[in-house]
Amino acid sequence: MKGAQRYRAEHTTRQAAAHLLLVLACLAFLYPMALMTINSFKADAEMYVNPAGFPQRWTLQSYGKIFQYHGGMWINYVNSVIIAVTSTVLSVLLCALAAFAFAKYRFKGRNLIFSLLLATMMVPPEITIPGLYVIFAKLQWINTLRAQILPTITPVLGLFLIRQYMLDIPDSLIEAAKIDGAGHITVFWKVMVPTSAPILGAFAILHFMSVWNAYTWPVLVATKQQVQPIMVILPQLVDPIIGFLPVWGTIMAGCVLSTLPLLIVFVAFQDKFISSVVIGAIKE
Amino acid sequence: MNAQDVPPPGPTAFARLTCWKDLLAPYLFIFPFIVSFLALFLGPAIYALLLSFFRYAGYGKATWVGLRNYTIILNYDVFWIEMRNVLFYWIAHAIPMVILAFLLAVLVNAKVITRKNFFKPIIFVPQVVASVAAALLFQNFFGTKYGILNNLLGTQIPWLTDMDLARWAVVIVLVWRGTGYWFVICLAGLTTISNEIIEAAIVDGATAWQRLIRITIPLMHKTFLFVFVVDAIVTLRLFAEPNVLAGKPGTLAPVEMAPVINLVVENVRNAQFGLAAATGWLLFVVIAFVSWLQFRLLQRKAEER
Repeated sequence: MKGAQRYRAEHTTRQAAAHLLLVLACLAFLYPMALMTINSFKADAEMYVNPAGFPQRWTLQSYGKIFQYHGGMWINYVNSVIIAVTSTVLSVLLCALAAFAFAKYRFKGRNLIFSLLLATMMVPPEITIPGLYVIFAKLQWINTLRAQILPTITPVLGLFLIRQYMLDIPDSLIEAAKIDGAGHITVFWKVMVPTSAPILGAFAILHFMSVWNAYTWPVLVATKQQVQPIMVILPQLVDPIIGFLPVWGTIMAGCVLSTLPLLIVFVAFQDKFISSVVIGAIKE
Repeated sequence: MNAQDVPPPGPTAFARLTCWKDLLAPYLFIFPFIVSFLALFLGPAIYALLLSFFRYAGYGKATWVGLRNYTIILNYDVFWIEMRNVLFYWIAHAIPMVILAFLLAVLVNAKVITRKNFFKPIIFVPQVVASVAAALLFQNFFGTKYGILNNLLGTQIPWLTDMDLARWAVVIVLVWRGTGYWFVICLAGLTTISNEIIEAAIVDGATAWQRLIRITIPLMHKTFLFVFVVDAIVTLRLFAEPNVLAGKPGTLAPVEMAPVINLVVENVRNAQFGLAAATGWLLFVVIAFVSWLQFRLLQRKAEER
């Protein structure tokens, strides 16, 4: 009896200690995000005297400024949306089409082409920067949205993941559709796309996130505000009158706005979102 | 084959037509991807390889310089300083991050934790914040005059302008944002350890600590290696965090803090496309070596199973 009691007491202490540790860790992870949100409700001027505490005066002024600065930063927000959405739609479509062929057709050169594509996954995308820049400059595509969209539309990882998934889709489904008179394209749209929807969605999330967060290439090819995505302009925000002084309230409002779309998707899907983000690493 | 098997002429023509379509279909399906891939990735990559043997300013004539771009970069102290920075960022953030991610995974996976699904998303959520936003957040946090930390401490410590301190600020951003990712990987690894082994150990009277040291960590150490190596490749491509944290608005970080990609970006900005391309390909050599290492390690892992 005594042993059981002691065991139970120990168990409770251990449980409390484990929970306490985890709660502390969670607070540490959430603290910066909480700061970001709280500070976005302060005026820029208050950020210089009270950066750490709660706002003395809660205000939406910083959010308003996002829409005024530099002739309206909503342009940059819209740019980010256009770039990320277009890139996601195009890349998922291109990957799914090619993955269908690699998974369900036998054709000459299939394995060779596929292994060559996989081998290029080792090549860091940054390697293409000088080449792409020279080519795009010749085409006069520097400072356009397509210069930011096009280099992102052929992710081999997406092709690989979608093909792996399609390999497991039974051939009988395709045969049945063919007997019903479906052509190649109908089979793709009516059979392959609906059945592989989970991986298409997962990859879409992963890809959207990487394009939305992109910085290196956009910072080079988008030097005019008209075409800059939100990520490029945020670190450049300074006081329009004094210059050089970062306007922290406004910047934090921009950070919140740039996080919000992904955060909403994350809260809505949680586990699915998490597994899509780590899918590249888990699959190996 | 007898005469009856010979199909009538009409349907044959149709069959031949579908046959021709069947043959062509897969090529048509891969066509958009392959063409875009060649035009937007492989083509520019090979073009960059060619550029790396020329001196080219983006207009006029390109001059063949052989390997000189590579020797210039390899003899350029900035390249080595930036390589050293990247190595520092990798070692300094990967070790605490892996330990933290693993310990959190062990905690969340522990039987005593009743609300696993409450903690998991919270630990992961910094991953949702973009690198640029995360860096800005911490730039505000570590600011000297108007920073949050100095305000709380009542000090004026130059966290971001003293390079030795600022490098650690970059490490903190990387750990804060990255832990959730590797935490999920570790959690996935932990769930593959069979309960039987753990229960057998409990029956044998092993304490929680002994189980951690003797069973869990040895079974997980391949996962740690994987994390470490993959993280090395990610860090070699680092750009946003140090530049946003330590750069003034609109400029890149000073050399003492800059990652290697800065050399690519700066050379492109200065229209030194040959030098930029050579830097890129040198980076590829390093990444290829690391990938090869990873492949070898994973192969050993597969053999041991």
